[in-house]
Amino acid sequence: MSNTTSSMTLNIPLHVKYIQSLGENKDDLVYHMTSHLRMNAIYWGLNALCVMKQKDALDREEMIDFVMSCWDDEAGAFGAHPAHDAHILSTLSAIQVLTIQDAVDRVDVQRVVKFILSLHQPSGVFAGDPFGEIDTRFSYIAVQALALLGQLDKLNVDKTVSYILRCRNFDGGFGAVIGAESHSAQGTFLISSVLHRLIIHCI
Amino acid sequence: MHGVKRVQYSKEVLEARKQRDQARLKDYLALYEQVFQKRKNKDFSQDAFDSTTNILRMNPELYTIWNYRRNVMTNGIFPASDPSKVNDILSDDLSLTFALLKEHPKVYWIWSHRMWCLEHVPDGPTDDQLKGWKTTNWKKELFVVEKMLDADARNFMAWNYRRYILGNMDPPPPPSAELTYTTKKIEANFSNFSAWHQRSRVLMSLWKEGKLDEKTSKQTEFELVQNAMYTDPDDQSVWIYHAWLIDAGEDTALLRREITSIQELLDEQPDSKCTVYGVACPIQEAHFGEAFGQLGP
Repeated sequence: MSNTTSSMTLNIPLHVKYIQSLGENKDDLVYHMTSHLRMNAIYWGLNALCVMKQKDALDREEMIDFVMSCWDDEAGAFGAHPAHDAHILSTLSAIQVLTIQDAVDRVDVQRVVKFILSLHQPSGVFAGDPFGEIDTRFSYIAVQALALLGQLDKLNVDKTVSYILRCRNFDGGFGAVIGAESHSAQGTFLISSVLHRLIIHCI
Repeated sequence: MHGVKRVQYSKEVLEARKQRDQARLKDYLALYEQVFQKRKNKDFSQDAFDSTTNILRMNPELYTIWNYRRNVMTNGIFPASDPSKVNDILSDDLSLTFALLKEHPKVYWIWSHRMWCLEHVPDGPTDDQLKGWKTTNWKKELFVVEKMLDADARNFMAWNYRRYILGNMDPPPPPSAELTYTTKKIEANFSNFSAWHQRSRVLMSLWKEGKLDEKTSKQTEFELVQNAMYTDPDDQSVWIYHAWLIDAGEDTALLRREITSIQELLDEQPDSKCTVYGVACPIQEAHFGEAFGQLGP
């Protein structure tokens, strides 16, 4: 019986230690080969710590400094790592981290909003960066980022929603682009976040 | 990758791997520093292009360097090349990305670089054959994506890419050819949901354009689905497709027929959860009809 009880308890210290170690293994090949995911990884790690009520397990100032060091001044948004190009993926993660750390005042909001809106395609979907890869997960990212910055009123809601609805498939799910098969990532993002948030915003 | 099992390695293997990784890390960091410095210097030379090739072979997920590579092409190499040379360079990049996709079949950056290359193929080879190079490249792409789908029939990025190619080919292949392709994939593996999804898209398009009679076509689909149900009653793809064919459930004779058929299957396979769901769906549609007096006693 006691074995069952202990196996039902989340070993928080062990998980916290793991998250902390991920930023320390700088002589690890995988650490360097995943620099394109660094900003996202910091958000995932911080979010997990928050869920475990261990937000302070990672140094706040160091984290904010790192996020700001990923600012791509030419584009007006955030890259995944210092000197990496701005992308909508890393921009959202940066905004999420700064929001959790209560440091959004460090962001040049107008420039970031301009970057995000510049990626809104005529069809209604969002691109990830100026090179134009489109995906409804970028639509979610755009809506989430604008919402966190309190700038959702800048979004063309009808255009955004109409594209998403055209991505609905025979099974009731949503795909990455019109015609793409349903993927749980799109389903989660688009139904629970985008459409719900936009409905709330429009009321 | 679908169907590839995770392997547990011994301590000795892990230690050997760690040593090898240290050597690779040294090489990687040297290349990384070199290419980022060139990028910082706005170097658009052939040498810069080659350094992007070297690092992308090691790490094709370095999206910033794919961006830099494209900038080197458009700002440095293409302006100094005639259209034939540009076409050759893009063909080489298509070969490079094909090789990388074999190792990394689900990396978004590689697939989107292929699209960029295809979209930048110049007009030619002659004024009379302005679409010549483009047509050759699109046809090759269909071959490439078929290879990718032979390796992993459920790679959704490859299926998305397939739809992208079909949408850009000029002239486009007939939808009947794509229907045949989905039949081939489904018959090879009834749990290929991607193929069932593609089939639903092709059929909806054919029905909408009046190229195929919906009622007759659905009859063929029910036969295909029934074959799949009996072969693998626990595969969700089949039941989801079946539910879609049932649609709003307005055809009461159809509903009765399907309920009977699935009930027979359930009698043979009483433990099959999917079959329980599968028979519940038309029954639910039938009861909905009853509530509005559509079904008789």
